[in-house]
Amino acid sequence: MSGGERAPDVDRVSSIRDRLSGGDGAVGTLLTLLAIVIALVLVSPLAWLAVEAWKLGPRAIELTTRPDTVEVLVRSVTLVAVVTGASIVLGVSMAVLTVQGDIPFRRFWTVVCALPLAVPSYLGAFAAISAFGPRGALSDALAPLGLTVPTIYGFEGAALVLTLYTYPYVFLTTRASLLSLDASLVEAARTLDCSRWEAFRRVTLPQILPGIAAGALLVALYTLADFGTPNFMRVEVFTQFIYARYNGFMRPYAVLLSLQLVAVTAAILAVESRIGADEEGAYESRGNRGGVELGLGRWRYPALLVPTAVALAAIVLPVAIFLLWLTQGGPGYQTGGISFSWAYAENSVYLALLAAGASVVVALPVALRSAASDSRLATLADRLTYVGYAVPGIVLGIALIRFSLEAGSTSDHLTWIYDSVPLLVFAYVVRFVPQAVGSIRTSTRQVDRRLTDAARVLGRSRLGTFRSVTLPLIAPGVATGAALVFLTTMKELPATLMLRPFGFGHTLVTYIWEVREAGLYGKAAVPALVLVVVSALSMAVILAGGER
Amino acid sequence: MTKDKRFGRRHLLKTVAAGSTVAIAGCSLANDGSGTDTPGGPDDGNDTDGSDGQGAPGEIPELSAFRGSGTLVEGRPAPGGTSIQDLPNLSGSLNVYIGGGEGGIYAEFMDMLENFYPDFSKSQKSAASSSLAQTVVEEVNANQARADVFWSIDASSLGYVADENAYDPLGDDVVEPVPERFRGEENAWVGVAGRARAIPYNTNEFSEDDIPDSVMEFPETDALQPMGWAPTYGAFKSFVTAMRLLEGEDATREWLESMKSAGTERFPNEYVVSNQVADGALSAGFANHYYAMRVKNQRSNPPIDLAFTQNDAGALINLAGALKIKGTGKGDLVDNFVRHLLSAEAQEFFATVSFAYPMIPEVQPVGDLPTVDELSPPDIDLSELSNLGPTLDLMQEAGVSG
Repeated sequence: MSGGERAPDVDRVSSIRDRLSGGDGAVGTLLTLLAIVIALVLVSPLAWLAVEAWKLGPRAIELTTRPDTVEVLVRSVTLVAVVTGASIVLGVSMAVLTVQGDIPFRRFWTVVCALPLAVPSYLGAFAAISAFGPRGALSDALAPLGLTVPTIYGFEGAALVLTLYTYPYVFLTTRASLLSLDASLVEAARTLDCSRWEAFRRVTLPQILPGIAAGALLVALYTLADFGTPNFMRVEVFTQFIYARYNGFMRPYAVLLSLQLVAVTAAILAVESRIGADEEGAYESRGNRGGVELGLGRWRYPALLVPTAVALAAIVLPVAIFLLWLTQGGPGYQTGGISFSWAYAENSVYLALLAAGASVVVALPVALRSAASDSRLATLADRLTYVGYAVPGIVLGIALIRFSLEAGSTSDHLTWIYDSVPLLVFAYVVRFVPQAVGSIRTSTRQVDRRLTDAARVLGRSRLGTFRSVTLPLIAPGVATGAALVFLTTMKELPATLMLRPFGFGHTLVTYIWEVREAGLYGKAAVPALVLVVVSALSMAVILAGGER
Repeated sequence: MTKDKRFGRRHLLKTVAAGSTVAIAGCSLANDGSGTDTPGGPDDGNDTDGSDGQGAPGEIPELSAFRGSGTLVEGRPAPGGTSIQDLPNLSGSLNVYIGGGEGGIYAEFMDMLENFYPDFSKSQKSAASSSLAQTVVEEVNANQARADVFWSIDASSLGYVADENAYDPLGDDVVEPVPERFRGEENAWVGVAGRARAIPYNTNEFSEDDIPDSVMEFPETDALQPMGWAPTYGAFKSFVTAMRLLEGEDATREWLESMKSAGTERFPNEYVVSNQVADGALSAGFANHYYAMRVKNQRSNPPIDLAFTQNDAGALINLAGALKIKGTGKGDLVDNFVRHLLSAEAQEFFATVSFAYPMIPEVQPVGDLPTVDELSPPDIDLSELSNLGPTLDLMQEAGVSG
């Protein structure tokens, strides 16, 4: 950066000028431009989708308005609404319970509530099917007792499974807001004769709303883009409809449907941006943070039944099923042709590390700029990065494959792109960088400006200030972002299926997919358990980061 | 190990195999009974997993290594056809696209080949056949083909690649052992294993005569209910596509609707359907033939048998097959590889492990299955099965979504 070479006094002057002009100096502008360029590169695969869809001509309109397309649209939006609504109810109440409730072993219950995030939702679905499906483990166990279990397949089952595994997003973001809540405000409200509920509604809720909205956004985007869960639960939402058409020699139609899915994503982002815009309020006051106590009285223990039930359904059940597979195996051909190898786990970790590293590098400029500046461009860059999060992996896969093939056929210098590890990692970054952007942005906002200003006044260069003051302060946020990307990359299914380079070897996820397709459930036991353990470790990192 | 020595052993094996009509019964695939272990053999040259127990590296094991286990496999005669022993050695590296859903059988067979031939190695990638077919075409068109062979589990996918002209023809002598109706035009592809649509039925409730000869008569045959089907399964969609091509859209929609209103139950896959038939929970079902064979092989005398309809969609025979991808620089290796897939041992392997229909007349299908010649599949161009769009629409309209 140019700032590093300038004399300290010039720097000081420009720092003051920066502050007066809202931080938009030359470096700021440069950073904004960088953020914009990064965001544009990240959404460029979507542009390629538009090009592909354009080739359809007038048929595009006809296909868009077909009854089954509309039906799928309605079903997808309904699923998103149901899952998001249920996640907010569950996530917020669990956050209030674990932050403010006078419950024993608070930390334990906090971990319990967050833990479903460590089980990929499709594995939850896999286990649910295995347990509750026709002739499933639980159905068989209950049959002699004359009990029948309701079928888990279909919309309700998918909504239930998705809620169980995505509500922790709302839980964690709401929890963070509650922890930074100024208790004196709530006390003031109570003193002014507000009922407990009224105080929550009028004081607490407005302050934690941005947190809830951030979590709800993640839930909504996850649900919309999720591939594995609706596939296993056999609900024909957008991703399944696209996948079926993609495989069934209807790739242009699949591309068109993907664009519609992107439009729905944009709509969700627009809604969230209205709620989340008011974020400042949550961080301004510096009073008695997180000190609110909620006396539950005799409801203390019954209240814990909810997280217990969630933990049983979301964690204990799948782990039990996988252990059952481990000991009993499953039906299938007697073959060693696709037996499990630990190299698959190494492949997964390797890809996830690359994705986490690349995501942090990409997220830093976008997040720093978005946190420091209110300019529309900076906000736009921040928002743009979210788009990739909702692009279903399968569609991103198609776009990147077609694009890289096209690139390779125009120039021999570009043939390295197609079917390569960098392309796959790029897909991960596109999909998951918003998580890194989000956590880095939040931690940057919490950095006290006076500290950085002090460092600048004391003669540190811009870069030096960043290195010695800002970076250590935002390091937990960076680590959390990296861990989140690592975690989600390990679990990622569709893009990995599509873009895993020839000869790269299985990852845990692609192996599970293959043995599931082959009906060899038993073979999925080890990789599924490994995935759960690795994800749980990443969860620990995230929770540790949140405690600081 | 020297080449001469290996030849000597191979020669010996060949003699033994030729002189012995006694089947080596009941050997599981994981059984180590095939060939002696050769210390210091070049097995670390192979980077694949799970390939032990298939004979010593560099040697072609006895027939038993190519056989599945279970009651259906016991007492089979030795297969006819060209033995791997008589084929040229495989040497070089090969990239293979494998259509997913074959249960790992094809991958395992390639692992075995890799094990026999120290100079041969393969890489593979597996995905839905229809997806890979499009990938092959896209790659060929962009001049960036990654694979040399496309081993599809579905003839329509082979037909698609052939129609898009993304293949190089296989050698005449390569496809020669396979009857013409199981090959693509101009040697575009060749069948490796067959899958027949069939009607698994419960033998406690019905005899074969109770099952109609025409699949179109099923809606009126109330006695057969409850029946089961698995509409999400690709083979079922191919079956409906065949019906659409043979009987027309209206008749097919009507057929689906009346089967549904007659009470046909939906299941996640056809293996479950076949098991339920054997349990007596269903009277009959729609399934690929090998699922019932799997049930038979795993239980002792389950009350399940197969009926085949005549000359209609219900009797469709679909194929797994191999295709040489256009522009591969390894045409000869691909030819020799496909020769291996059509060898006596390979065909015996597919027949006894996955219960597929062999593609060479010299190898018999497993158990009491009728031979391929005794079946009456409909007269249909298998590559037309790739036109899935109207089928999915139809199924949707009939309330039997795939």
